[in-house]
Amino acid sequence: MSGLLVQTNNSLRENLWRYFFVAIPYIWLLLFFLAPFVIVFKISLADPIIAQPPFTPFFNESSDGGFSIYTTFDNFRYLFQDSLYFVTYLNSVKLAFIATVFTLLIGYPIAYGIARSPQPTRNILLLLVVIPFWISFLLRVYSWMGILKTNGLINGFLLWLGLIDQPLELLYTDTAVYIGMVYSYLPFMILPLYANLVKLDVRLLEAASDLGAKRWQGFLDVTLPLSIPGIIAGCLLVFIPAIGEYVIPSLLGGADTLMIGRVLFDEFFLNRDWPVASAVAIVLLLLLVLPIVYFQKKQAQENLEAAA
Amino acid sequence: MTDSDQKFIEIKGVSKNFGEVIAVDNVDLEIKKGELFSILGASGSGKTTLLRILAGLEVPSQGSVLIDGVDMTTVAPYDRPVNIMFQNYALFPHMSVFENIAYGLKKEGMEKEGIQEKVERMLALVKLEGYENRKPNQLSGGQSQRVALARSLIKEPKVLLLDEPMAALDKKLRQSTQFELMDIHYELGITFVIVTHDQEEAMTLSDRIAIMEQGQFVQIGSPNLIYENPKSKFVADFLGNINLLEATVTEQSDDRIVVKCEALGGELELNNQDQSNTSQMTVALRPEKVMIEKTMPTENEQKFVKGMVEDFGYFGNLSIYRVRTESNHIIQVSKQNRDRVEQSIKWDDEVYLTWENESLMLLGE
Repeated sequence: MSGLLVQTNNSLRENLWRYFFVAIPYIWLLLFFLAPFVIVFKISLADPIIAQPPFTPFFNESSDGGFSIYTTFDNFRYLFQDSLYFVTYLNSVKLAFIATVFTLLIGYPIAYGIARSPQPTRNILLLLVVIPFWISFLLRVYSWMGILKTNGLINGFLLWLGLIDQPLELLYTDTAVYIGMVYSYLPFMILPLYANLVKLDVRLLEAASDLGAKRWQGFLDVTLPLSIPGIIAGCLLVFIPAIGEYVIPSLLGGADTLMIGRVLFDEFFLNRDWPVASAVAIVLLLLLVLPIVYFQKKQAQENLEAAA
Repeated sequence: MTDSDQKFIEIKGVSKNFGEVIAVDNVDLEIKKGELFSILGASGSGKTTLLRILAGLEVPSQGSVLIDGVDMTTVAPYDRPVNIMFQNYALFPHMSVFENIAYGLKKEGMEKEGIQEKVERMLALVKLEGYENRKPNQLSGGQSQRVALARSLIKEPKVLLLDEPMAALDKKLRQSTQFELMDIHYELGITFVIVTHDQEEAMTLSDRIAIMEQGQFVQIGSPNLIYENPKSKFVADFLGNINLLEATVTEQSDDRIVVKCEALGGELELNNQDQSNTSQMTVALRPEKVMIEKTMPTENEQKFVKGMVEDFGYFGNLSIYRVRTESNHIIQVSKQNRDRVEQSIKWDDEVYLTWENESLMLLGE
């Protein structure tokens, strides 16, 4: 009798431990993702006022002791009415997309080269990819200002070579933003691609070669399709932070480089319009999350169909 | 058969080193057209490297390779009339069975209808009709092996190379697949070169076997020849079970030799096949060529040794005994279990071992 009891106790304790460990990521997401999201969403439904905090409260205590809730969709309506926001969103997507494509075009050969190099060299090369992280992100973007400015390194070098006789307009352009983004996010593209490419079974390429494929055909038929998960992971890791990027466009971009991160910053800190800024943030999040959720669902469905 | 058919594949003085390591060491070999040839060796013997040289996946450090009279030494794999079936099949995981098999034809630039027809015929040959839309991860080991075989046969290569074709299959499946592979070989008449470490597989499948050790061939011949007339202790030991018993030469003439072999009860007179002039030799005797009885042989002149059963293993179709002789040597004996009776010879039984004089082989080193 007592033996049975002990056993139930043990399995109960085991279950509790299991729940505890499963709960950790959920608690983390709840505290640091969902709770802030709810707060931001709540602010986006308020009206701006000049007060501390600068928005109308969600709950209102009426004089007779009851509660009422105040919400408004004015901020969202405003986002759709003022074309500035739509243009900025679109421009952010465009900039992030082009930057992602360039990062992929540069990152893929690098990741491929690292994955194909002998083991000792591989570790050194990977270290070199990661080393820039040890210097502050802000400093690295600042140093690009020094390289790109009118009397900076690039212009100085080109003038010295005699290739140009007028310094080029590089800094404060979209080109500078692309350069900064590709440079900053390259490791996020290289690392997942490397992790994928290093797993590739070399015998598959040998099999392709044996069956009549030249080297480039083997690459297109085998390496490239099998690296698609790595490409997707790398592109998401670059595209998502790039679309909301604030530092790079404000330091390297011109006045006409509209990006949603800058608009968000301006609404918060210059206009002090927290509700509109929150609405901008919510829309940006939906813009990013919905396609990814859709994409993942579709892929899961395809996997299921393939298995059936 | 013409001379070029006799030397359909010609390997001349081929060596391959990887840095300091010599994988293949100055090898010569000729393989006939339509032959089913096996290269048998332990891991690290250089057999796979030699196969990869034939496929063009490695370029030899020295020597040349001719296939059907054409020098192929430095020809790229995609330009050779040769296909290889890899050890773990190396099926393209992102392609269906159909796409895997069709791949070689697609690279040849064949039009769709032709591909469709040929792949269907190939699927029928390897008995995989109805599986064309499956992905490799939805196939069993045996099915994967058939897809790999079909993929490597579809271009109708002059030579098919197979790297450990059965290694990933379980024993029962391996036996049936061996016979299927022989059927396919017979049907298509393509020259097969198989690399394997499994001596049973090599014996059942092959017309000829080459035994490889440390990058060189130690013996080449039909399975029967190699089994019954091994050239060296290594070959004798590698292929099947054998008793290797020490012996000293006491008398030697051109055709007769007398050796003293303690384990077999004293002096033995044998044909002098091996003309080496060492005094220490080895008498080799296959376990299935030794007779085991509980009663003393009565026939005159019959040589025998007396011993005690130290160990025995029952395998159903046969039993294997380890007998310790009076001279304190171990001799292995295998006995067919012809009658459906209980084992009559058991542990610690006193037994008498006899053999035919012709069964004894005299080996040098």
